Amino acid sequence: MIEQYGPLVERLLSGAFICPFSDPDNYRRLQNDEVRQALDEYLRPLNRRLAQSQGSGVYFLGYLNFDEQARDVLKSQFSQTLQSLMPLLEWMLMVQEALGRDGALTAGDSIKLQEFVLKTEDNQSLRHRLQLLANDRFFNSQADSVDAQVKQIFKRLREHGYVRQPHAERQYFEVTGKVDYLVDLVRFIRDEENLPVSDEAEQEALL
Amino acid sequence: MVSATQPEFREQQLTSSMLALGTERLALIGKHSSLLMQAYLQGELADNQLSDRAIRKLVQANLIYQPDESRGFLLRPQLADLIASMVTDENRRHINADVADKLETIRLRVKTYRDAQQRGDTTKAQFQLQLLTGLVHDLGGQFGEAMDSLWHRLNSNFGFVASLADKIRENHRAQQQIGRLLDGLNYVDFAELIALGEGDVHLRKLLVSQLQRQLNAHHSSLLEVQRRLVQLMGRYREQQARSVLLTNMASFLREHSNFQVGDYAWRSQVPELINQAQPILPAAAISLDQHAALEVATGLMASMPRPTSNKESVPSEQAERVATVANPQVEARQQALKADVEALLLHVVDQGKQQAGVSALQYLREKNLSWDAEVWLLQILGEYQSLPPQQRHLFSLRRDEQRAHPFNDLLLIADLELSFQPASQGQAQSLR
Repeated sequence: MIEQYGPLVERLLSGAFICPFSDPDNYRRLQNDEVRQALDEYLRPLNRRLAQSQGSGVYFLGYLNFDEQARDVLKSQFSQTLQSLMPLLEWMLMVQEALGRDGALTAGDSIKLQEFVLKTEDNQSLRHRLQLLANDRFFNSQADSVDAQVKQIFKRLREHGYVRQPHAERQYFEVTGKVDYLVDLVRFIRDEENLPVSDEAEQEALL
Repeated sequence: MVSATQPEFREQQLTSSMLALGTERLALIGKHSSLLMQAYLQGELADNQLSDRAIRKLVQANLIYQPDESRGFLLRPQLADLIASMVTDENRRHINADVADKLETIRLRVKTYRDAQQRGDTTKAQFQLQLLTGLVHDLGGQFGEAMDSLWHRLNSNFGFVASLADKIRENHRAQQQIGRLLDGLNYVDFAELIALGEGDVHLRKLLVSQLQRQLNAHHSSLLEVQRRLVQLMGRYREQQARSVLLTNMASFLREHSNFQVGDYAWRSQVPELINQAQPILPAAAISLDQHAALEVATGLMASMPRPTSNKESVPSEQAERVATVANPQVEARQQALKADVEALLLHVVDQGKQQAGVSALQYLREKNLSWDAEVWLLQILGEYQSLPPQQRHLFSLRRDEQRAHPFNDLLLIADLELSFQPASQGQAQSLR
């Protein structure tokens, strides 16, 4: 049975997050208990197992046993994620603000690059923020124009799996479930570290 | 005889004069439609565009009024309601949840109807029944209108307001309206309606079968809308919480730039969320111990351009460079640029002998490369020129040039087109 899931296994092994938006067919397959069991069985010798984020429901591969090597990998990986957290949050807030969205970005949202560029070019404060964001180590753009900065930012986001580009020739992106995973992570860190970071609207009015 | 026909005659007269007046006044709305609509949108009537006589007529028709001398003319609420309902303007659409008053009127009309019947005054009874029918329809229509407005707001996801906070408020308002409508429905006592219709076919049909059926249907759809509104409200709140969480977390991180978290990876129970395994890339190579693989390998070899045997260095090393590169960042950029141009050349080779060449600028766009177009073209020219002659012959480079000005012979390169030349086939053949 595992043979027919070759491409899915390969995607998972490559570190992909499987969400209903980026890969609906495989996501549907993973909803099946038998498929998940077969995959776990197959992955066992590789010390991998299927993991799922509770809040957003995205699937990815985690370690089965936590030996020293695995823990070291997790530690360095997590600290990398933390370093990229600030630029990613700033990116999410900027898109929400520039495009006048109701709520924070979430899986399935679409972003037209040109619209984002135009809105940012028109607004001095957004331009300034974009400059800072593009210069951040995570995005690492040296370009001066808004257009080139935005392109570099979305290129990096695509490489990291936070957005996908359905058509290579069109500057149009879709947010994937990995963004929701990031929000899960923010909530998790907030709870673990008891950070004074509220998610209640009343609090917002006071700030 | 005379006494029987007189009221009938009066009623007929009344009806015909009402018909004339109503028609005239409805026409008034049509006549000033654009001004009235502007008044609806702007809040006040632009009375400088109307004669005093026209204004007087509108006031008499109860379409507009002037609350006090200092202010202009406003639309009467009934007219504003009518417009809001006609253009489904959910910001101003009015929901009338008042049922008690209509029920009282129904009771009254039933009494008048029964009195007239007892007196044998069929004309009057007929007229009362007609009014009663209108009233029952009216009550049903009142709920129908409210339902329509509620569904419309629900289905448009409260699209008539922009912000999430406003949507939450509007959702709350809609839920309150449903509460009032449900309260209104509770006033309706079906046992009383059955008693009212007792012994009269017409009344029973109207009050029991028709009204009861209608109100039952409205009751269940009200509950359905209520359920959906509560659901939607949950989503709004979740969205809002998410947005607030991210904003607050971002400002927390901004204020605490050296923020450190616990060592989750070394806990006895590693949290599921951070248990993200390192990627494994399943690699594979051609194995030559199988006949089938051997054939594939030979085919691949044959299609590859022949490697140059001379010791000329790789093209990118020879390409023109900025004289002194002291800054490691600039150096890295330069290398990245070279690598991208090499990738372009490989792409051209992959394209093979396709009819059309590869446009350098189109490639730049397709691959989302951030290079400036001019820098990109210059680098390609440089790389091309510095290729060893045998390799250079494998590519044909076409310049898309334009004169700088009709009176200036300077040629500006707008784009470059690269293609892989069939001449390479000869070289590939010689491999065999």
